[in-house]
Amino acid sequence: MSLLVAENLSYSYAKNVSPAISKVSITVEPGTLTALVGPNGAGKSTLLRILQGQCIPDNGQITIDGEKLIRQRSQVALMPQRSSMNWKFPITVEKLVSLGQIKYSKSKSSSPFQIKALLANPNAWINKCCELEATMQRVGIANIAKRRLDSLSGGQQQRALLAKTLMSPAKIFLLDEPCAALDPPAKEDFLKIVRQLADAGLSLMVSSHDWGTSLNSYDQVIVLDKAVLASGSPYSIKDKLEDINISSIEDNSCCD
Amino acid sequence: MSFINSSWWLVPLIITIFSGILCPAMGTVLITHRRLLQVNLISHCVLPGLALALAIGIHPSIGGVISGLLGSVIAESLTNKKSENYEAIMNTILAGMLGFGVLIIPLLGIRIDLEAVLFGDLLTANFGDLLRTIIAFLVFILLMTFGYEKVVYVGLDPEGASASGINVSLLNLALSFTTALVIVSSMSAVGVILVIALLSTPTLLGLNKAHSLRIAMMRSSFFGLCISLLGFILSIVFNLSPGPAISVICVASLFTMACRFLDI
Repeated sequence: MSLLVAENLSYSYAKNVSPAISKVSITVEPGTLTALVGPNGAGKSTLLRILQGQCIPDNGQITIDGEKLIRQRSQVALMPQRSSMNWKFPITVEKLVSLGQIKYSKSKSSSPFQIKALLANPNAWINKCCELEATMQRVGIANIAKRRLDSLSGGQQQRALLAKTLMSPAKIFLLDEPCAALDPPAKEDFLKIVRQLADAGLSLMVSSHDWGTSLNSYDQVIVLDKAVLASGSPYSIKDKLEDINISSIEDNSCCD
Repeated sequence: MSFINSSWWLVPLIITIFSGILCPAMGTVLITHRRLLQVNLISHCVLPGLALALAIGIHPSIGGVISGLLGSVIAESLTNKKSENYEAIMNTILAGMLGFGVLIIPLLGIRIDLEAVLFGDLLTANFGDLLRTIIAFLVFILLMTFGYEKVVYVGLDPEGASASGINVSLLNLALSFTTALVIVSSMSAVGVILVIALLSTPTLLGLNKAHSLRIAMMRSSFFGLCISLLGFILSIVFNLSPGPAISVICVASLFTMACRFLDI
């Protein structure tokens, strides 16, 4: 069974304006790495927000593991664009990552008001700490855990943000342009980490407006420009794209 | 040093201590949330409320908090709209509200010591002023005790905070309400205009290389307390107006520290 199924999604930010996305249908299989590519303004961020439940689509429906999104919202984690973050905020990497564990909704995850429960069950507390440490190790930021966020490079900041997202007890992770504003080596490093996570069994969808040979690292590519223009394996997509004119997708051979 | 033999300075001193700790701590939250322009708007919106409250016979600080809160709601809606011109609009509103306040004072036929409201009159502060400051202090402590984690999350990543289930609009409203309380409570110490110096300067010093919001607040409060006490002592010794003295010390300390430590 597909992990995420979205059917006929349409969304407009206001009445009497052209829709941000129209009749978008996609599926994501468990344990796969999916690229969502398209030009600026194609509706990638809008689609990710809809898939995370932040925006309600005008039409269409989304299911996670066969259940409606409204019941499974905690199973979808979104890593926001870096421009939405306040990087000057006084906080350490470790604390930022730990924020990913917090859920204030009525889910079973921890909140500060459940400290009593954690104290009553020390093993759960230890597991949380181990999980934090393990997640930071996974994305290669354990050695900078005590550093302040604004003292990091752009690549390190993005990895810290990825670690925070991974702390969420979700089944699918949506990354909104995580490589934007990163230099080519940092982008390449980031992509390697994302690939390793997918190989370890996580399901990830990464949006990007870049287009290049590194798309080959993905299991599935979805090309979006208000509607889905093409989807499939990177190789099959490239054949289809020859017939589609998307001039604003950059041909960046280094990364995406 | 004849003042030591009397106790008139005791209430002003306690207000100085509370304001010196409270304003910079509040300022730290507001600067890290990029809301200092809204503070400016709130502080300028207080005056019409004070005047109207006096005219209808209720306590002026209640009117001040209400009109400050109204200003913060306007600021909040402008910020949410993310209009390109929202800074210009906010500046226009703050000037307009201050002008409106000054305009209605003679029209309503009431007497307000405008200089004391705008720039403070610490040495004549009474027990009511102290009570107001303590209430604002307690509200801030309550907000930080029960909402610290949320304040951190919203300041760092508003979208992520919203996705994790935090009611960001409600938290911002709570911050605006507390800010309005802090500004009105500081009226006697430094005035509603000069309070901006006490909200900003110690914060810039306290935020420098702090590894958490809590540490930044504690450092800011320490610097704020030192600046306020120095201003209080200087105003007694040299017979100066405390509000402006504290503001000038803020600027002096900023330049002194900026040369050595801050990346300005």
